[in-house]
Amino acid sequence: MNNTRVSGNPSANTGGQRKEGGLLVWMRRNDILAHAALVVVMFVVLLPILWLLSSSFKNAEQFYNHPSELLPRSISLVNYQYMFTAIQSLPVYMTNSFLLAFGVTAIQVFCAALAGYAFARMTFRGRDIIFLMIVISMFVPRGGGLMALYELMNFLKLRNSLFGMILLFGSHLPIPIFIMRQAFLSIPKEIEESAMIDGASRWQIFWRIALPLATSAMVIVATLAFVGVWSDFLITFTMIDRDSQLTISVGIRKVLTSGYETATANVPELRGQFASEAADAAMLLFSAFPVILIYALLQRWFMKGITEGAIKF
Amino acid sequence: MTTQTTTQRATGSKKKSSSPRNDLLGYVFIAPAILLYLLFNIWPLIRGILMAFTDYRFVYPDTRWAFNGLENFVKLFGSVKVQAAAVVSIKYSLIVVPAVLIFALLTAILISRVRQGTSFYRWTVYLPTILPVAVSFLMFRQMYAPNFGLINSFLRGLGVESPPHWLGEVATALPAVGISHIWIIFGFPTLLFLIGIYNIGEELYEAASLDGASRWQQFLHITLPLLKPTTAMVLILIVPGVFGVTDPMLILTQGGPQGSTQTLGYYLYETAFVRGDLRLGYASSISLVVSLVTAGLVALIFRWSRERE
Repeated sequence: MNNTRVSGNPSANTGGQRKEGGLLVWMRRNDILAHAALVVVMFVVLLPILWLLSSSFKNAEQFYNHPSELLPRSISLVNYQYMFTAIQSLPVYMTNSFLLAFGVTAIQVFCAALAGYAFARMTFRGRDIIFLMIVISMFVPRGGGLMALYELMNFLKLRNSLFGMILLFGSHLPIPIFIMRQAFLSIPKEIEESAMIDGASRWQIFWRIALPLATSAMVIVATLAFVGVWSDFLITFTMIDRDSQLTISVGIRKVLTSGYETATANVPELRGQFASEAADAAMLLFSAFPVILIYALLQRWFMKGITEGAIKF
Repeated sequence: MTTQTTTQRATGSKKKSSSPRNDLLGYVFIAPAILLYLLFNIWPLIRGILMAFTDYRFVYPDTRWAFNGLENFVKLFGSVKVQAAAVVSIKYSLIVVPAVLIFALLTAILISRVRQGTSFYRWTVYLPTILPVAVSFLMFRQMYAPNFGLINSFLRGLGVESPPHWLGEVATALPAVGISHIWIIFGFPTLLFLIGIYNIGEELYEAASLDGASRWQQFLHITLPLLKPTTAMVLILIVPGVFGVTDPMLILTQGGPQGSTQTLGYYLYETAFVRGDLRLGYASSISLVVSLVTAGLVALIFRWSRERE
């Protein structure tokens, strides 16, 4: 992206007005009105999340009396206490989500790195045609795709199986292959050629030289895979109805709709202390927490993956 | 730019392959990816089309290959329920798509105007998109809750006596779901528009303002026309998902109240996986029609983006 122009060169625009001094220049440069409007936009975007966050720290009295206040008057952890003690299926769903996300990430990085390297650097008959077919097939609409997938998973006895879901999501490979191929293409050929002259095998060149140079592309593939799988609803919802195999992004709906009476049956000592809506808020945040964390920590890679992908396609 | 280097590289390596070397290891390298992709993507793609011409009911496994010609299509085009669902899908698209375009474009223009804080703005704008869809939609259910939802508590604070039960009333359910959908998906279009705006040269605006063009005129005659390819790309990306929308109905409304959120996507999902003898065949035919319609729309958008250039 044009980061350089955005942040690197602020003096270009203001050269003529340097005399006017600090604040005025700053205002001109930053377009105060645009900032003000952006603050409003960002507030609207963040409002649901902020409200959820504040609700999750309210006890029953606070939530029912002041449901719309964004700053809780006192912090209460009762919702989180309830969530961790009473909802037995939550850790199961969470573990499943992690297993699924890590499994898919591993498969995608592995398959896409190998295939991307082959498409970028190896010569074999049909290479370009196969690659083109993969790219084109991505744009063919999947009429009846979900129904056919259901039949297939059922036929393979992979419905209701986390392992089956790993294979299924692991097969979403066109974009990862594309990203990896692009990364390998951008490595100067001379590096590999000199290694070949030194007598390294094809595999050694891939493993020792090319792959380490494509680390950033692998990180991009991994983050996109992890977040994509963690967030899926439709496919998981369709394929899995056994509780022990469910992911958090689908299971969360079950947990929330289970109702206050059944929920408090497990923890009678918390009865009356919390609002079920506020407990729901805590659980919603909890189930999205891993992706929010990854998104916050790896934002650079995300933006790279998103914008580069967009420009290249 | 990238495509250029790609083709250069590709032709460069083609020279090499004219020597009769055929690196068999290449097939080994692509094998895992290709096998997975063929099994879980290409096969369902083919089978989905075939299934649309069968009377496959999941509870009767021997109907798997019961081809019935065009019967499904005759039935679906005459079906009142499908027609009603199509109307709901179209309404939903007309709510969501223009709103996403406008909101994303405005946000992108604002971000392009400022020099500081852009990475925070970009991060925030894309945050809703990475959240799990179920979490986002359920979060909006909390917001819309009749008694202690944020929206109605706020409205009561303003003195509104009986604010609507957003997701529970025929008149408000579809727009309410649509608004949450807009919130979820507008981030990526915003980033695309932002890239598009950054790619418009500063010189154009300078020349225009020398000619005395107002900011509004500049927007109308420079920014908008030059963003046409980006607009087309955004449309191509969001139209299939919005027109075929299923998720929020599964998560929030189950097509209700009184069918007011019964979209094509949800109707075919119910036909396949919820109701009666699970008519996968008939559902596939609806799905095929939906995806052909969206493919047609995408083709139209593509042609529009290539016009006059």
